[in-house]
Amino acid sequence: MAGDGEAGRHQEVGHKSLLQSDALYQYILETSVYPREPEAMKELRELTAKHPWNIMTTSADEGQFLNMLLKLINAKNTMEIGVYTGYSLLATALALPEDGKILAMDINKENYELGLPVIQKAGVAHKIDFREGPALPVLDQMIEDGKYHGSFDFIFVDADKDNYINYHKRLIDLVKVGGLIGYDNTLWNGSVVAPPDAPMRKYVRYYRDFVLELNKALAADPRIEICMLPVGDGITLCRRIS
Amino acid sequence: MAANQAEQQNQDGRHQEVGHKSLLQSDALYQYILETSVYPKEPEPMKELRELTANHPWNIMTTSADEGQFLNMLLKLINAKNTMEIGVYTGYSLLATALALPEDGKILAMDINRENYELGLPVIQKAGVAHKIEFREGPALPALDQMIKDGKYHGSFDFIFVDADKDNYLNYHKRLIQLVKVGGVLGYDNTLWNGSVVAPPDAPLRKYVRYYKDFVLELNKALAADPRIEICQLPVGDGITLCRRLS
Repeated sequence: MAGDGEAGRHQEVGHKSLLQSDALYQYILETSVYPREPEAMKELRELTAKHPWNIMTTSADEGQFLNMLLKLINAKNTMEIGVYTGYSLLATALALPEDGKILAMDINKENYELGLPVIQKAGVAHKIDFREGPALPVLDQMIEDGKYHGSFDFIFVDADKDNYINYHKRLIDLVKVGGLIGYDNTLWNGSVVAPPDAPMRKYVRYYRDFVLELNKALAADPRIEICMLPVGDGITLCRRIS
Repeated sequence: MAANQAEQQNQDGRHQEVGHKSLLQSDALYQYILETSVYPKEPEPMKELRELTANHPWNIMTTSADEGQFLNMLLKLINAKNTMEIGVYTGYSLLATALALPEDGKILAMDINRENYELGLPVIQKAGVAHKIEFREGPALPALDQMIKDGKYHGSFDFIFVDADKDNYLNYHKRLIQLVKVGGVLGYDNTLWNGSVVAPPDAPLRKYVRYYKDFVLELNKALAADPRIEICQLPVGDGITLCRRLS
């Protein structure tokens, strides 16, 4: 699963896909993703491939999708919770206009600083406001402040799964009406449908119930319209309607 | 493969997406998405049209519910107002589109078969959105050529969805790239072609799958190489490639 660079074939680091075969996933990557991947993103992806926690990174197909989505919705003011080395952050920064802004939060600044030189070289680092630390206190501050309501075009959450519902309670106020929240990993390695006795990695099993609960909660939330896409490890897009 | 799927649809009350296997790692995962996130939110007219279509012998051609939901959201996100659809069948994606557009939205919908469209039309009318649709029976290429020649349709569409004869997609593309606006979206359906794009040469394939496979492979290469668009190939339904026009 960690991807060992077999026979010169590209291997998306740390990821199995949700698709029917690895061959099909490779086909998408080789045909439609890698040939169009911006140089900076390729560089950051390859740098991240060497990192021991690379399973956490956003995959290239997901980066491409986020980048296109942001352009399609003309996003200008965004937020990202969970940065790691910054692959989805870079995909976002490349999509926003020159005066676009991204509030990016992660409990770990070191990983962000690993990727930052690549983001700087790409000329888009000025769009990013990085804050180290847990996101909930920051979100609570923004809610209390009052002037951030409905101020974000897009918010991407790729962080601790046991807190997604807690994030959602705040983000639904902070994203604008008609804006988009994206929750990553909502198909959780396909484990959402694994039988109870199936062998599972510890962390997969641990967070699985949180993911199942999140999915139910999002589907039942009347303030949003949702769409669960099998890109990467599953992204649920939530468009705020009220 | 598809016929068995359609026959299984009444098994122990479980929803079964007609005619489709998904591109996902298991049918269970696909069902999970449908049951958790699609069916509970599916608008009543779309459900009605889907169930009506399930009884049709060619139902393998229909847009799946997850794809309909995605198209509907995408169109709202891009504030689409003027769209085109090539390939209608009974109108599931057409209805998904019509429900997403504003009251004064317009869809030019083309299909060689009017009867199938008329099967679904009552549902679309009941949903109150039929007035947005201009349906034209017949092959699309002559209509597109006329629009190109006319001159005033260049860059006039926000979104164009192609779900038709795969051996003509590249021919459509040559015209559509001019008709969609800069920044607008072309969506090509079935670009992962049942997963057969990676089937070994000796793999058993249904005749029509094998017949069109090379066209799909060529299309995918051509779209990836086209500098006038940015692309994104999504494993939704049978694979949709979104193409955003850059220039």
